[in-house]
Amino acid sequence: MELFIQQLVSGISIGAIYSLLAVGYALVYSVYNFTNWAFDGFMAFGAFMAFTGITSLFMPFWLAALFSIILTVILSVGTEKLAYSPLRARKAPRLFMMISAMGVNLATVNIINLIYGGVFRKFPIDTLQPIFIKGVSIGRMDLMAGGISFGVLALLWVFLYRTKWGLGIRASSIDIMTASLMGINNNAVAIVVFAVTGVLSSVAGVFYGIKYAVFPMMGIVTIKAMIASIVGGLGSLPAAILGSMILGILETMVSGYISSTYRDLFSFLFLIIILLFFPNGLMGKSSGEKL
Amino acid sequence: MNKNVQLFRKWWGLLLIGVLLISSLSGCGSQEKVLKIGYITEQTGVDAYVGAASVPAMQDYVDEINAKGGISGYKIELVVYDTRSEVPDAVTVAKRLVDQDKAVAIIGPSWSSAGIPLADIADAAKVPMVATTASNVNVTVSEDGTLHPYMFRVCFIDPYQGFAQADFAYNKLGLRKAAFLTDIASPYTVGLHQFFKDHFIELGGEIVAEEGYTQGDAEFRAQLAKIKDAGADLLVVDAYTFKDIGLAAQQAEALGLKVQIMGGDGVFVPELLEMAGPQLEGAIVTTGVTTDSPDFAEFNKAFEAKHGTQANIYTYYGLDALMAIEYAIGEAAKKGDVTPTAVRDALETMTDVQLFTSKVTMEPDTHNPHNKPLLIMTIKDSQWVLTETFQPK
Repeated sequence: MELFIQQLVSGISIGAIYSLLAVGYALVYSVYNFTNWAFDGFMAFGAFMAFTGITSLFMPFWLAALFSIILTVILSVGTEKLAYSPLRARKAPRLFMMISAMGVNLATVNIINLIYGGVFRKFPIDTLQPIFIKGVSIGRMDLMAGGISFGVLALLWVFLYRTKWGLGIRASSIDIMTASLMGINNNAVAIVVFAVTGVLSSVAGVFYGIKYAVFPMMGIVTIKAMIASIVGGLGSLPAAILGSMILGILETMVSGYISSTYRDLFSFLFLIIILLFFPNGLMGKSSGEKL
Repeated sequence: MNKNVQLFRKWWGLLLIGVLLISSLSGCGSQEKVLKIGYITEQTGVDAYVGAASVPAMQDYVDEINAKGGISGYKIELVVYDTRSEVPDAVTVAKRLVDQDKAVAIIGPSWSSAGIPLADIADAAKVPMVATTASNVNVTVSEDGTLHPYMFRVCFIDPYQGFAQADFAYNKLGLRKAAFLTDIASPYTVGLHQFFKDHFIELGGEIVAEEGYTQGDAEFRAQLAKIKDAGADLLVVDAYTFKDIGLAAQQAEALGLKVQIMGGDGVFVPELLEMAGPQLEGAIVTTGVTTDSPDFAEFNKAFEAKHGTQANIYTYYGLDALMAIEYAIGEAAKKGDVTPTAVRDALETMTDVQLFTSKVTMEPDTHNPHNKPLLIMTIKDSQWVLTETFQPK
């Protein structure tokens, strides 16, 4: 029982990190119908900016986190302005947007690699000792990461469902052309969507860096988040969170009770089965309302 | 024209004539018995540091032998060829050594991907070859299990370390319940795992958990929780990159898993200490040879002073191979016949011969050194400390 609870706790904490990233994918996908592959690089960028803030600029952690968020938002919005928006203006197929995103991603990761080198660094912050409850270890970092992740997601929900701006984004996610005819400023929506994406990737990158290590290829984990958002139902925020939790817990349980060697094999087999029965993901809607 | 330059040219010319005269005179001297030993190494290309650190040391050693009158009267000539760190070039120079130079024995190469094709050349030409650091099993024994009769090596094979680690853990540390966390996608780590497991069970130990992961994973808590639950007293992390053992140590600490951690030479890098020094306090990492060993301190200093470059493990293994050949030529000479085949026979049967790094006994059925000592590096106060040199029985 102790082992089961320990695995569950680990699974939820992994799911929390996936959630932040999955929501980022879902947000861009629901409005622009393409997968923002550059997310991977943004996440690593966020982690490295916070790392630099602390080690080279001697900032306290909170300031470094803020510094990272601001720079990642600039990178994310800059990418939208330079790489995505011109393509949309020229009515390029969505596939081209994805290729463009991959290019941005490769460039970001390689520039980081060039500047910082490919080594693994420990995030320069004191790791807090975990809390033990009846032999089950609960990491303080995990609690903090989980708390902040869900806090950020809750804020996002309030923003999307309780503000005029959020209404604009939701309207755009249903039909961007009609929304603009109704007087919603498309460009402003794009800036807001990519700014939010930047915040999410920076927060995810910083937590991932603290929990594991900071290295240029760290964004590879975003592929898991992508899968989580598909399983939950692409384009829907609660679905992205649900998918992330399922994937996080499933992975730990498979490792714990079936085989860690074949973890990915069993986990993804299970996900394929889910998709066979729910082709649009668990909470996905084939059309109509998204977000 | 500047007067100094004129003077310089004049002297230079005289010097050249002098050198020519002396060399032509020595050519007329008594017929000296000279044996050529080939050395295939990397002097240019990505692995140029291998040759840079080994050739000067080996030439010094050959000069020393010749100054003492050679091996049983045979003077030695070291013929060094560069592979440019490319396999095709390694093949070309190996052929040149056997066909044109008629080398009596060849040293090298340092990497397995060249070692495997060169073994066939050595067999075909019947010239013994001693690889330095090519550690893949198939360098001396081909994939179908047949021995390359003319190929030897002085380093241990990759998975041997697993065998010696198991011996150390069971006999020296008294540990009985081992758990694994193994990178399942690399032949190096899978080999370490298998050899450890087989020998540990053979000794009477128990394997309580065998957990795996794939390269790129950063999350090991599920596996570690299971290992904790299984009651292991030893955690063997067979990782290819140091990040994995570092993360595993951090996460083990977070889960309250307190066991002896052990790893192989793949993670023996200074960066590991920066990443997880405190979490790895007391952890053991094994390796074949290290420049930090006090045994080499004096040699390293003298080498650096003379050649302006630092000695590294390729220096040591190059000397090991050269000394093995020196021994074998001596044995062949005792029997009155220094042919490549006689040298090969002597290499195959060498027993307890002191080489540069250690005493070596060649295994006749694998041409690998038998039970080479393993260096036990322990992490103390976030530093590597060589705690002992362990020789499996």
